[in-house]
Amino acid sequence: MDFGLTETQELIRVSAREFLEDRATTTTVRAVADGDTEAISSLWNEIIELGWQAMTISEEHGGAGLAFSDLAILLEELGASLAPTPIVESSISSWVIERYGSDPIKSELLPQIASGGVLITPAFVERDASWQTESTKVAATRSGSDLVVTGEKRFVAFADQATHALTLVRTDDDAPTLIVIPIWKAEGVALTPLDHASGVPVSSLTFNELAVPEGNIVATGHEAVRAAEELVAAGGVARAAQLAGLGRAVVDATVEYTSTREQFGKPVGTFQAVQHHLADMAIAAKQVNHLVHAAAWSFSRDGYSKVAAAQAKIAASDKIANLCWTAHQCHGAIGFTWEHDLHLYTRRALAWKTDYGDSAFHKSRLASAIGL
Amino acid sequence: MRFEFTPEESEFKSQLSSFLDDALPADWHGPADESRDDHWELNQEIKKGLAERGWLVMSWPKEYGGADSSPMMNTIFAEEMAYRRAPGHDRFGTRMLGPTLMRFGTEEQRTKYLGSIARGEIQWCQGYSEPNSGSDLASLQTRAVEDGDDFVVTGAKIWTSLAHRADMMFMLVRTDPEAAPHRGISLILVDMKSPGVEVQPIVNMAGVHSFNQVVFDQVRVPKANLIGQLNDGWRAGMTVLNFERSGIDYAAWARAALEEIIEHVQSEDAVTSTKSDPAIRIKLAELHMEVEAARLMCFDVAWRQGKGEIPSSEASMSKVAATEVYLKVLDYGLELLGMYGVLEPGSKQALLQGRIFKMRLFYTSGPILAGTNEIQKNIIAQRGLGLPRK
Repeated sequence: MDFGLTETQELIRVSAREFLEDRATTTTVRAVADGDTEAISSLWNEIIELGWQAMTISEEHGGAGLAFSDLAILLEELGASLAPTPIVESSISSWVIERYGSDPIKSELLPQIASGGVLITPAFVERDASWQTESTKVAATRSGSDLVVTGEKRFVAFADQATHALTLVRTDDDAPTLIVIPIWKAEGVALTPLDHASGVPVSSLTFNELAVPEGNIVATGHEAVRAAEELVAAGGVARAAQLAGLGRAVVDATVEYTSTREQFGKPVGTFQAVQHHLADMAIAAKQVNHLVHAAAWSFSRDGYSKVAAAQAKIAASDKIANLCWTAHQCHGAIGFTWEHDLHLYTRRALAWKTDYGDSAFHKSRLASAIGL
Repeated sequence: MRFEFTPEESEFKSQLSSFLDDALPADWHGPADESRDDHWELNQEIKKGLAERGWLVMSWPKEYGGADSSPMMNTIFAEEMAYRRAPGHDRFGTRMLGPTLMRFGTEEQRTKYLGSIARGEIQWCQGYSEPNSGSDLASLQTRAVEDGDDFVVTGAKIWTSLAHRADMMFMLVRTDPEAAPHRGISLILVDMKSPGVEVQPIVNMAGVHSFNQVVFDQVRVPKANLIGQLNDGWRAGMTVLNFERSGIDYAAWARAALEEIIEHVQSEDAVTSTKSDPAIRIKLAELHMEVEAARLMCFDVAWRQGKGEIPSSEASMSKVAATEVYLKVLDYGLELLGMYGVLEPGSKQALLQGRIFKMRLFYTSGPILAGTNEIQKNIIAQRGLGLPRK
């Protein structure tokens, strides 16, 4: 086993940290949460210049051809900074298209995602908020060489910035189908913005007899089920990577605060009760970090480990949310205020915890994967 | 980043596994810990077998009969031994005293003791804790007074695993009562057959005699048995503890117990089965994740050691995580066994031979021994996170 970062990964970490410290401050995070979409666009445009959206796309299709584990290192930094930017959405969509799409759709779409011309986001769950493929009800009826799509997808992140949605639908013959739907100012597409704890735009998307060319189909039937499963697994690991970074940032901030805040004539961090809270937080953050790396590494190989992917999202969802609550306890009253940034992290952790399958969902998946 | 073993490591693991297939009785379920002596003969046999294959001290440098194996390889060895609940790896001699002698011992001491450890001939025990010195080890009171060519040792050591089986003890004694607590301590080696050594058995809450109190009444110990400098024993003594503080045994025991419980709840014998309650799947999956999380912490320690680091905080983290998860697994096992869970081993109608109950009682010691988990958390907070001491 090798727990170290490669040279490429070290470089990604350092350059991402440097950029985000400057460009994704909590001032930006707060502005976006207050509805400043301009702040999202300007950050996204700078990120396109850096090429982060093209990181895991193959060189053949205009990307950098890096591994999923390299992406995970970037995502940790994005998580630590709470950067309001759709890298996870874009990256896992292109990841699934690259693995399951036909040659024509790959050559058509991937270079555009890599160049930033297309921003694609997954539209997966529906009213029952389930990440199970079987729950899909949004209907696609064949009409000539089109699929006519009707129904509602919920909890679509960055839907008002995205040009396309990678959407799971059900066709006439009851086959699940993964299809790319152009949504940018499209007729037949209605957006209902939600007020979401993540502080980034999340909307419901309603399709009303929207005609989508069949050439936009990524996978259908059994392949679509596999693709959808990989989308949820990859999305879960990606969110887990962000949660790992977020957890590390919260541990660092809590160490900093308790080392300087004085009561009874000394820093509160000298008290054993506080030290033990922090030790538990540090253990949790470290465990999530290892499980995320193990899972992300498994995606860099043929196939991926369903066991490792589920473990990473379970651990990240449960442990990082708990870690945030403990951080509030260590911060005392100041951490209970709107003014202090800590709740920004807690909100994001609680939101990410539910994304791409919550802990219960992945425990069930893990149970199946280990034969239970 | 690589989360698999190298071909060489996998090959070694499979060789060790085949050796254990032969060495362990059919349907072997432990006890896992060598400090229990219910299977002393088996312990000795396996120790010899490991020695013959060069595995007992493979972590040692070649000049002392080892194979200079990597910390990663040593952790794979420890994990496999613990996962199979195999006794016989002699952690006191091979993992604690041996490396300490290599660093602090004289040429003569190394020649005298290392060979017999490598051959699996001599059983060592560790004399650190005292009745009034547990977590605050530096307060220890057992006195060693210089008298000619000897020290004369008087006092008591406690919680001494295997003292009743041991040939020799490495122990910390106070040689300068005037100096500051850490500065008046020395590390010496004592023959357990010396006149004045009395081993008093202590039976633990699981009903097992694994440790003892050892009373020293004017025991003469040759000065040649002093390890390192006089009054500088704290440094050498703490080196031993760094070797002791790994969680891998517990992580592997947790995995073995979890697999046993999973197999049981799917069997016809189960009173609470996955068929009767789907929530069980969810809880078992959570534990499966927790076990892997603890396991990776331990391999991270090995990886860091392999790079020449001394991962003190990480080792403490692995010890806390692994001892805690093992008890979580056993607690949940007991819950699933319901009323059968509290049948003592050997009882009629006991499920899993009453093992889960016995292990839960026995491994209450996990978060206590080798530095309590509270002490480990102090280390994590202060050395790892840099929180202020005062």
